[in-house]
Amino acid sequence: MSVIYIALPIALFMATLAVAGFVWSVREGQLDDLQTPAVRILEDDRVKAKR
Amino acid sequence: MIVKSETIRSPQVGVECTHCGLPVPLQFVAANQEEQFCCHGCETAFRILEEFDGFDPEFLEQSRSATKKRTEPQNYGHLDHPAYQEKYVREVSPGLLRAKFLLGGVHCASCLFVIEKLPEFLSGVVTTRMNLTAMTVTIEWDTAKTRLSQIADTLDRLGYPPFPPLADKRENLEQAESHRQLIRLAIAGACAGNTMLVAVALYFGWFTGMSDDFLLLFRWTSAGLAAISLAWPGSVFFRGAWQAIRTRTSHMDLPVALGLSAGAVMGFANTILQRGEIYFDSLTVLVFLLLVGRHIQYGQQRKAIRHVSLLHAMLPHAVTRLVAPEPDAGTQSVPIEAIQPGDWIYIRAGDVIPVDGILVSGSTLVDLSILTGESCGVEARKGDRVYSGSTNISSSILVETTLVGTDTRIGKICELVDEEIRSRTPIVQFANRIGNYFVGIVLILAAMTVAIWMSSGLEIAINHAMALLIVACPCALGLATPFSVAFAQGRAAARGILVKSGEVFESLARPGMIWLDKTGTLTEGRMRLIEFIGDHSIQPVIELLERQTVHPIAAALISNMQVAELDRFPQSALSDFIVIPGIGVQAIVDRQLIQIGSEKLLDQSSTIIASNFHASLQHFNHRGLTTVLVIRNHEVVAVAALGDQIRSDTKATIEALSRLGWRVGILSGDQQQVACHVGQEIGIERQNILGNLTPEQKLAVIQNSSSSQTVVMVGDGVNDSAALAAASVGIAVKGGAEASLKAANVYLSRDGVQSILDAIQGSRQTLRTIHTTFAISLCYNALAVMLAMAGLINPILAAILMPVSSLSVLAVAASNTAFRNKITPKQATS
Repeated sequence: MSVIYIALPIALFMATLAVAGFVWSVREGQLDDLQTPAVRILEDDRVKAKR
Repeated sequence: MIVKSETIRSPQVGVECTHCGLPVPLQFVAANQEEQFCCHGCETAFRILEEFDGFDPEFLEQSRSATKKRTEPQNYGHLDHPAYQEKYVREVSPGLLRAKFLLGGVHCASCLFVIEKLPEFLSGVVTTRMNLTAMTVTIEWDTAKTRLSQIADTLDRLGYPPFPPLADKRENLEQAESHRQLIRLAIAGACAGNTMLVAVALYFGWFTGMSDDFLLLFRWTSAGLAAISLAWPGSVFFRGAWQAIRTRTSHMDLPVALGLSAGAVMGFANTILQRGEIYFDSLTVLVFLLLVGRHIQYGQQRKAIRHVSLLHAMLPHAVTRLVAPEPDAGTQSVPIEAIQPGDWIYIRAGDVIPVDGILVSGSTLVDLSILTGESCGVEARKGDRVYSGSTNISSSILVETTLVGTDTRIGKICELVDEEIRSRTPIVQFANRIGNYFVGIVLILAAMTVAIWMSSGLEIAINHAMALLIVACPCALGLATPFSVAFAQGRAAARGILVKSGEVFESLARPGMIWLDKTGTLTEGRMRLIEFIGDHSIQPVIELLERQTVHPIAAALISNMQVAELDRFPQSALSDFIVIPGIGVQAIVDRQLIQIGSEKLLDQSSTIIASNFHASLQHFNHRGLTTVLVIRNHEVVAVAALGDQIRSDTKATIEALSRLGWRVGILSGDQQQVACHVGQEIGIERQNILGNLTPEQKLAVIQNSSSSQTVVMVGDGVNDSAALAAASVGIAVKGGAEASLKAANVYLSRDGVQSILDAIQGSRQTLRTIHTTFAISLCYNALAVMLAMAGLINPILAAILMPVSSLSVLAVAASNTAFRNKITPKQATS
């Protein structure tokens, strides 16, 4: 069971990485506007012919 | 003979956008047309999809020019001024600049579609990124190919007038605060999750036995995680509690901080001494959940405030200044801040007047509705005062500036609003009021626990007391209000009711006095032809004459007249056209002298009026309508009555409100007679109808209203803003000036008073939900406290009780039915 001594720090380290990733995305401004990207995907690259 | 005009079709209430299906704001409703659009984006997108196999800029120009309301395009030359560039423009790379604009008229996904296509038809624009939430667009462009003024001009012609972004400082502060909150959430969440995982191991160990080495490792790990969670994200609660102690006010943070510190002290002591229980899993989850509630609350407030920020649109940012105070001097475009008293400025027809001043050249009509609520234009001639915020309607004028900025009348009104907001004592939230008693009760109970268990030894007594402090920590109580409010706010917003803060629900749930502004709230807020008496064949002539002017009465007169294309007179049929200032117009058509204007035309001795026309004239005047006479060769041939029509849903809503126990009254800047007529028609008691009020008098009425009950003010003009801020709940109705939103707590984006009823119904429901969640969480706390006093609490029970109470509160809050079902006035009271 002494593997815990290694596994626990690894688990905590991974959690730290996840938090760091989240903090990075917040600082990057990715969570500032949650509305527009959802709508932007509806936009076609080119407008199709008549309906 | 009285002939009721049947050709007038007024647009229905609740028109849906042909393209996106959202409700169309009344000012965009196009009369007598199949296709209706909620915004320029929808119309453009619809036309593109319908007609063209691609994006044709030329077509766009055409469709824009058809809907364009402005008589002369706004000049954006000042955007290229070095001062503006320095303040708002950033260089991304050599030759590539970036600027941000706040856009007016943004409404839905179609707007995004159109605006982000900007690079396709304006060469030089590299990217446009739109933010729908903030209603801003960030544009990057090549300095060699285009100028900022050209981009702004294109955006304006698309139907999205650009404004400089909000003071960057405030925006940045808000953004930084939001970022800090999210980061705190992330850390609190990670600590909570990992402490829980460790706790699971500890609980299994508790049942099956665990070697001391591992026990020590796990306990120290959770102690470390809890230390991070309490010291970093959890510090907000300790700071809040400290503030509450210092200012001697009650606050939810106080009991929370008490529970957290009791848990921390006990947990760390037991970890170091290697004995007893640690409650770190409960503590970290508590910090996380409370922060979630707080973040949701903050987000909702920020969203509502953002919608208000279009206040910028009110005053023009660029002013045409004359280089010298003489009529023939050259002009230059300068930012509004550069204008000094004594400067002469040139104001085009259709522009908003940027300063208070004296008219020095030209004569015009001024729309003062933003200041007085008066719905028709006021004549201004040389020597008259003009006020900033009002609109110059009919012709270009020169104005000598006397007052600028906050010294102007509108500036004074805005200051009044700020004062009202500052002086108003905030309604202490229910949770905070409870928090006060809560701390006292919990401390007494803890003391009792110590006393009861003293006989079994001090250590055990303190252990049980600490356990009580931890489980009594009002996690669910802290979550209940923000969640219920956030759910209700979100759903209300989807129905076009924007609520600034949760206090509104509390105030609106109990009946009181509700004051309604007349113009724009009860009525549609613009003149339209209500009745036309006389020979209909004269209508093409009227149309020809009134087409020549931009007077609001003229526009109202012909807007509802159906003159077939064939009957239309050519321009050449008209000769000797003159405007008689303050009275009307006159011209010769087909060798006949035609005069159209107010009753003052009767003062000419030569005019003949038949008795039936005279009778109906008096009838209309009595009803408070504006009358227009049509005189052909000195004989009255037709009488038209113009008025501001009462919205169709008004009467039923007023009835429903009084059935709910609300007293309803009218506060109007319009004449008493007109206000009374409108009031009687919708069933409001005469003593509650007050007309002829200045903004200051409206404020006084609100302030003098009894303070023991809720006073609601519903209005839409800048003239109402002080009253809106003074009322316990100010409700701003769309269709009026954006400025009133600065002062109001609620903003209705749908026209009519039906939404007010909706808001009140929803508030009652929401308050009921909040009370239910309180009852549930108090029950949990009572149960937990009893268990703790009996010495039965252990970490597992605490770890189960706490999340279960929080989750059940969340479930109740989410099941709140407020703003979910469509409420008609009839059902409202049943």
